Amino acid sequence: MKQKQSTSDHVFTGTAYTFLALFTLFCLFPFLLMVIGSFTDEGELIAHGYTLFPSKLSLAAYEAVLQSDVLYNGYAITIFVTLVGTLSALCISAMLAYSLANKRNVLQTPFLLFCYLPMLFSGGIIPFYIVVSQWLNLQNTVWVLILTLLCQPFLVFLLVSFFRTIPEELEEAARIDGANEMRIFFQIMVPISKPILASVGLFYALNYWNDWFMGLMFVDNEKLFPLQLILRRMVSNMEAAKNLIPSGAAISVTPPTYGVRMATTVLTIGPIILLYPMLQKYFVKGLTVGAVKG
Amino acid sequence: MQVQRKAGMTAKLKQIANNPFLYVMAAPGLLFFLIFSYLPIYGITIAFKDYNFSKGITGSEWVGLKNFDYFFTSDDFWIVLRNTLGLNLLFILFTTVTAVLIALMFNEIRNKYFKRISQSLIFLPYFMSWIVVGMIVQSLFGGEEPMINHWLSGLGMEPVNWMFEAKLWPAILTVIRVWQGAGYLSIIFLAAITGIPEDLYEAARIDGASKLQIMLRITLPLLVPTIMIMTLLSVGKIFNGDFAMIYAIIGDNSLLYPTTDVIDTFVFRSMRQLHDFGMSSAVGLFQSVMGLVFVLAANAVTRRLSKESALF
Repeated sequence: MKQKQSTSDHVFTGTAYTFLALFTLFCLFPFLLMVIGSFTDEGELIAHGYTLFPSKLSLAAYEAVLQSDVLYNGYAITIFVTLVGTLSALCISAMLAYSLANKRNVLQTPFLLFCYLPMLFSGGIIPFYIVVSQWLNLQNTVWVLILTLLCQPFLVFLLVSFFRTIPEELEEAARIDGANEMRIFFQIMVPISKPILASVGLFYALNYWNDWFMGLMFVDNEKLFPLQLILRRMVSNMEAAKNLIPSGAAISVTPPTYGVRMATTVLTIGPIILLYPMLQKYFVKGLTVGAVKG
Repeated sequence: MQVQRKAGMTAKLKQIANNPFLYVMAAPGLLFFLIFSYLPIYGITIAFKDYNFSKGITGSEWVGLKNFDYFFTSDDFWIVLRNTLGLNLLFILFTTVTAVLIALMFNEIRNKYFKRISQSLIFLPYFMSWIVVGMIVQSLFGGEEPMINHWLSGLGMEPVNWMFEAKLWPAILTVIRVWQGAGYLSIIFLAAITGIPEDLYEAARIDGASKLQIMLRITLPLLVPTIMIMTLLSVGKIFNGDFAMIYAIIGDNSLLYPTTDVIDTFVFRSMRQLHDFGMSSAVGLFQSVMGLVFVLAANAVTRRLSKESALF
């Protein structure tokens, strides 16, 4: 009896390992294809397409891409937007959340409603487009990429629910010492909220790094294209990859367009992969806090 | 009564004056919502106007429900509505089932390294922008000789012209969605499983239950409330087509519109290509209202199931 049970358990555990191993490979496969494709010889890509086991490797795609001003420019825009955007977004969201979570705020209920409604109802993209481009005149500026994503209600409420768990005695002591709300926020709340601020900051950073919708809507000037938009242009248009290859570059006769597409993709997701261990840790933390409420 | 209210008001104002920083700190965030959420809500009036660029939102003429008429009587309406709801249902169903399976299987795994590596890789696609996904899809299915066809011919099958066959794309998009989103959802389910009290498992083990029985009789039933809630939250958003996903993958390939065009891509195209601002904002308004109805309904149901899980 006992023997039989443990055999079925072994089979069951084996199934679990097999299923997860297969699904993991399924998730990993496109990344492998991308990375290997970026190192594959162009001639082979043209003849056989992207493969996992190329017979001839080459660095031509990276040599071409790394000489490209377009890509450096895209990196500069994306890094600027991500850094400035994340810091401002974090600052604004944390201050707002602190005010929303504070019992001394006599306007707490109206403020909460004001921030909640945008999660339930939106004007749609047409009025949004008109407000940003016609009223605020932000189109074709780098600011449109930053300002439009500054505050996410979901992340603000994540912070609110965290601030509410902080015992009041901490603030009371400081308040008796004559500290005002601003000082309490920066000297007491911010230091003890570091882990959750890191989670929220990473959510914002990922949002900025991966965004292309705002660029698509409001930016026509190619000098202001973030990385994602440069990549987007290459998705459907083979010729666009050639724009990345400088005309004076001493590269073989056929420009490595297939390779360049993959190399650019790898370089676009590179920072995310490098920061991934940290990203994952804080994301899971933020997610499981968020899963409790909303 | 009025005097009392007035006294209340002055007391409030006094409190605000005594403690101004709380309101100063909230100001930038509130200003953001005012400009980027509330001004566009006011802009909804375009849906009832013949929008004219030079006259602006306030200056354009009212046309009543003409913009709605145009959309609701067109064939596009039914196609776009069916695609939005149909694709979202497919996404919800397959992502949830896969995520539940992943979470249940992870619960059976004891090898720490396998667990950690596999979990990291399954979660990774969630961090990719849809443009990157679009590039991968294009590399697999696009071009004159799609890579997938190389494999098909290796298996002795006929090549398929992927970019022309609209009927294949709901399935392809669903696979992509599972690839991208199942890992993310499974983390939430796994967190719920971790919360199941250990003594339940011990009792079952003492009674001689097999692992499969434990999974089916304990883990799964106790996971059901979380599954229900996550599903309800997604159903609440069922009228929102995933613009970023669909547009990054399908783009302007009109051959695939019959099965992949959703409300959001339709609105975007009407604005960008047809410059029909009135009609597209009417469609947007319809979507917002339906979205609100569904969120409220989903929330009401969630509330009955589990009060603390409801959004409000």
